[in-house]
Amino acid sequence: MRLTYTFLTGLFAAVLLLTSCEKIITLELDNAGAAVVIDAGLSDQGEIQVVRLSKTYDFTQPNKFNGASGATVVLTSNTGNVVNYTEVEPGIYNSPRIRGRSGVKYTLTVNLEGKTYIATSTMPDKVHIDSLTFKDYNFFGEKSRFVDVNYLDPRGAPNYYRYILRVKGKIEEDVVSEDRFNDGNEVANTIFYDLSDLERDDQIDVEFLCIDRNVYRYFYSLSQNMGGGGPPIAPSNPPSNFSNGALGVFSAYTSSRRTATIPD
Amino acid sequence: MPKILRFLLLVVVLLSFCKPSSAQNKFTLSGNVTDSETGETLIGASIRLSGTLNGGAVTNSYGFYSASMPLGDYELSVSFIGYNTVRQTISITKDTKLNFILIEDNKLDEVVISATKRDENISSAQMGLQKVNVREINSVPVLFGERDVLKTLQLLPGIKSAGEGNSGFYVRGGATDQNLILLDEAPVYNASHLLGFFSTFNSDAIKDVSVYKGGMPAQYGGRLASVLDIKMNDGNRKEYTAEGGLGLISSRLKVEGPIVKDKGSFMVSGRRTYLDAFLAFAPDSAISNNTLYFYDLNAKANYQLDEKNTLFLSGYFGRDKLGIADSFGFNWGNSTVTLRWNHLYSNRLFSNTSLIYSNYNYVIQNLSEDNNFEVNSSIKDFNLKQDFEYSLSNKHNLKFGVNAIHHTIAPGKLTSSGSSSVNQTNYEDRKGIELATYLSDEWTVTETLNLVYGLRLSSFSLLGPGNIKSYDEDGNITATAPYKSGEFVKSYLNLEPRISASYQLSPSSSIKSAYTRNIQNIHLMSNSTSTSPTDLYIMNSNNVKPEIADQIATGYFRNFNDDKYEFSAEIYYKWMQNQIEYRSGTDLRGNANVEADLLYGDGRAYGLELFLKKRFGKFNGWIGYTWSKTERLFDGINDGRWFYAKQDRTHDLSLVGIYKAGPRWTFSSVFVYNTGNAVTYPSGKYQINGRTVFYYTEKNGYRTPAYHRLDVAATLEGKPGKKLQSSWSFGIYNLYNRQNAFSIDFEDDPDDLTRTRVTQTTLFGIIPSVTWNFKF
Repeated sequence: MRLTYTFLTGLFAAVLLLTSCEKIITLELDNAGAAVVIDAGLSDQGEIQVVRLSKTYDFTQPNKFNGASGATVVLTSNTGNVVNYTEVEPGIYNSPRIRGRSGVKYTLTVNLEGKTYIATSTMPDKVHIDSLTFKDYNFFGEKSRFVDVNYLDPRGAPNYYRYILRVKGKIEEDVVSEDRFNDGNEVANTIFYDLSDLERDDQIDVEFLCIDRNVYRYFYSLSQNMGGGGPPIAPSNPPSNFSNGALGVFSAYTSSRRTATIPD
Repeated sequence: MPKILRFLLLVVVLLSFCKPSSAQNKFTLSGNVTDSETGETLIGASIRLSGTLNGGAVTNSYGFYSASMPLGDYELSVSFIGYNTVRQTISITKDTKLNFILIEDNKLDEVVISATKRDENISSAQMGLQKVNVREINSVPVLFGERDVLKTLQLLPGIKSAGEGNSGFYVRGGATDQNLILLDEAPVYNASHLLGFFSTFNSDAIKDVSVYKGGMPAQYGGRLASVLDIKMNDGNRKEYTAEGGLGLISSRLKVEGPIVKDKGSFMVSGRRTYLDAFLAFAPDSAISNNTLYFYDLNAKANYQLDEKNTLFLSGYFGRDKLGIADSFGFNWGNSTVTLRWNHLYSNRLFSNTSLIYSNYNYVIQNLSEDNNFEVNSSIKDFNLKQDFEYSLSNKHNLKFGVNAIHHTIAPGKLTSSGSSSVNQTNYEDRKGIELATYLSDEWTVTETLNLVYGLRLSSFSLLGPGNIKSYDEDGNITATAPYKSGEFVKSYLNLEPRISASYQLSPSSSIKSAYTRNIQNIHLMSNSTSTSPTDLYIMNSNNVKPEIADQIATGYFRNFNDDKYEFSAEIYYKWMQNQIEYRSGTDLRGNANVEADLLYGDGRAYGLELFLKKRFGKFNGWIGYTWSKTERLFDGINDGRWFYAKQDRTHDLSLVGIYKAGPRWTFSSVFVYNTGNAVTYPSGKYQINGRTVFYYTEKNGYRTPAYHRLDVAATLEGKPGKKLQSSWSFGIYNLYNRQNAFSIDFEDDPDDLTRTRVTQTTLFGIIPSVTWNFKF
């Protein structure tokens, strides 16, 4: 009976919407001239802050960090601090050990090959991650397991969050949310990355960041391009907070972290 | 506006009492044309007067005609495609009322030889109008064997499918929301089921389908690209009948009959899919508690009070339900109710008054304990229409009227229970009123020159209550103004001229030209590549201006071989203003400030449409070909350069063949080919936080691979003469299993993370279907 049923639903699923099939294809894509990409963050942890400066490259090339050398990178704050970054390897620019503060507006100025790219970001107030909990779902007989991120959202002010999920040390999901629908509440936000293939005692880790509105918008747009948050949209470059046409984003953020072990 | 109403009232009063001086020795012939078996009124039947006088009339949406002529003897012929022509000699000595009953010509496998007006397409001044025969809808092969008006329409030149298996359509470069879809005069907001794979129109319930691609007469307004005017069956006035069908996906049943014989009738038609019926057999409760189905219910009743008054009540109720046991629920649907009153003020002044209610809504439920919420969103219209048709003389037929529509859009009401982390939120409703008045004249200037010209004056006002925001260029709020209930926030007034002319070069050929301006005051916000039930409608406001389209079109029309073949070639050019796009990263869900993220620009569309149809005989069908371009220009998109709109397709070809092999077998086939969609592909890549991100340089600068497909179908009619008539329909969709691209995705290769790969998803390969239909 069970087998019959599985077959029947399988058949119907096949006949109706899931007759879809996927194949790998080759496309002739244009090769655009290289554009400048700045991936920069400033955390509230006392640590070496990193600016990754690179250039875009052709789609058919192997994935790599295409570092851009020889830039000057300077961080300033509206409280009068000035920090100079030094290039430690091609495209990687490090600060000394510093800590960003909530409420302070930071400006990052990058000068590369005679062009200047400027972005500002204000570090939001910190919200701490409380815990991680696992949640099991059953979609048409298919079991899946997701992780919920629990925290208390502060009432009143708009808050924007970014969640970086690492599974066995590797980044698997990088998503954002805002508190438009749950301002001031105990929030359990589900990260829709299926963990059901993991085995008992496997480790996962969630880094929980508070980000500003422009950074939220950047990552939200990025997730839309990748089909997150509903039906696919016509993709476009996410809105960067850098001037002068640079891709990428500069984010001043607070950070907290939790790890969890997969139960049965 | 009341001034306009008063003026119109005056016109009506004048027209009903005075007779034009030129008509002193002229009389009026009027009446109805109906089907002999069912008593259904026939829409668009032609009444022609023979002899020297070039005159006649065409029945309106209610089967009524009115023609003027001087004293004398006439030979009349009344014809309608698929029916035997009636000829009659008549002496006109006074105003005469004459009803015609036409007998359906069932011998469609034979060539119908008739000398009468089958060349309406040549002589009529109307341009850009396509009629779809319900018989054609029933013969053309379709996905899953589900007959579908909208999918048959997509096979005509100038009308394109919005995607694989999708009932959404693009007309001459318009988007899916720029089509005015009317079901018994009620606007239908979301005309599709199951995420677009089925249209909401059950073809059993449909009598007449007309689509205007341009040159819309002045009585239609409110959308930029097209008017799809669908009329439901009135119901059999003679006897009770039932018909239906059992299909792979759904079943249908229609019951109709007289309320009082020859006075009134009713029709009820229902359709339901039953995928979930199979789910219920599942031993696993996690599966059997899931729901997935839709239903449609069409109902109509009419009653003729006396010679001069008839009432019609029609309704449509349809709903899609999707649910995953204990965790998620989603349902959406339309309801429309139309109450109409036909009244004859005189035998030359016909009036119709309609009161229309239309409601589209959706509900999303998240049932999980700690995140539970329910979203309710709706768009509700109350619509009052008063239309008049006046037969001024045998040279002038006037149409005029007024229309008032009150819209209420509830973008979303978010409710949740105590244990939920989701806050209750009520987004402000928006109310608006559209007022319009029009006057249109169908003028037979000479024997060879015909004109339809008119004016439509339309206004839109956004009404309070509400906190109305203004935004700067970057989308920041600059001001918030509170308005009280009924206060006018912002009004727009527009004049929409319409003119369409035909000049007959010979009895079987003509050229036609048209200019049309259309205004659209209500806009669909959808940033996805496909339509979704949750797409949001917004109205004009202090930020959003009415969309405007100006279209010119000209064409050559020619019939061959005693009207057996019909050929047309049309070219059009369309300018569009105040088109809407979004900033990247716009979130349309529950966004009270969605207007902050809108960008406004222009559009242009132009093309050539060729159409060749064989209309009679054992074998009939058509070839439609369109060459077209659709582009948009926005300051903030594509560096301010023109880019292809998502509805742009360079080439679009449809071949349709229907062959009647004998009294019982009918075979049909459809082949379609079109240029791939304009899409945005990456032209490079980079890394953010160690993950691959794609770099885009040109919006919609690439094309998906060309789309093509061959479908076949066969229908076997039961033996004739039985009480229960039945038929089998067999179909194969995508016969040669073409792998058409539904989407193309770019991602890191999971087997080799140093590489990126391109995957193509195909939705439907080869799909067979079978349906059993019955009638008794």
